[in-house]
Amino acid sequence: MKVFMIPPNSLILYDLVERFGHQPLSLMGELREHVVKPEVESPPLNISQEDIMKGLKYAGIEVPSGVRGRLAIWGPMVDEAEAAIIMHDMPYTFGCVGCHRTNLMLTYMVRRKGIPTLEVHYPHDDEEAKVMVTKIKAFLEGLK
Amino acid sequence: MIVIAPSSELTPDQIARFIHTLGLNINVKETCYGANIEGPKSVVRKALAEVRKLDPNRIFSKVRAFPIGDERRCRAHHGSRPGFNQVEKEWRDLAMIDVGLCAADRGETCELPPRPKPLPVKRLKEIAEEVTK
Repeated sequence: MKVFMIPPNSLILYDLVERFGHQPLSLMGELREHVVKPEVESPPLNISQEDIMKGLKYAGIEVPSGVRGRLAIWGPMVDEAEAAIIMHDMPYTFGCVGCHRTNLMLTYMVRRKGIPTLEVHYPHDDEEAKVMVTKIKAFLEGLK
Repeated sequence: MIVIAPSSELTPDQIARFIHTLGLNINVKETCYGANIEGPKSVVRKALAEVRKLDPNRIFSKVRAFPIGDERRCRAHHGSRPGFNQVEKEWRDLAMIDVGLCAADRGETCELPPRPKPLPVKRLKEIAEEVTK
């Protein structure tokens, strides 16, 4: 099954989803297609006008462009998802309003989609890691 | 992108040499956290499966957007961009994930202890009175 992850670029979640036999929908895979296209020359031009129009499907025009730009990439991934894992309290997802608001929007979109979803917390010690990994394993094995 | 957990005794050099010995038609680049490999999807998967066997619960992987040696990303070309914070933090915590994977392998069912109940107001008042006496 295609499993969407929040945060979509997480190494830990990507590995666990793949390890337990599913296909992770990763941001990196999507971006790879963008950055290796021959017409894209530098990182600020990663998002093309077509992408911005795609973003409008997921967020209104009054939503900050940073959110719409991100949703242009992440939105189609949510559409494609058959299941999702949401990790809360990631210590590294601080950042600008665009990043944070997009994360909130993504969580909302996933919950609204009604697909099987597991919500876990980022572990801070071994015990919490055990809980997280065993929950993810049980969830992913249950999807088969 | 192959990442070795800090709890592993393997080194990036060992991983890179091991991949070379597999004789597969892929590009390999040794990095500070493990190695990057690039090539046809099926061959990369085969290489990854072999590498994982070296230390199953301590070798992690994910896809990387930029190709190996991309001038926009590669430090050799001063192309380094912010974003290492996340991989650095997750790499540091891979030792915990390793513990979790070992527990999952043993079939443990893990639950966090229940959260402590909030202090009743009555008891709080008693404490306040004891302190102010």
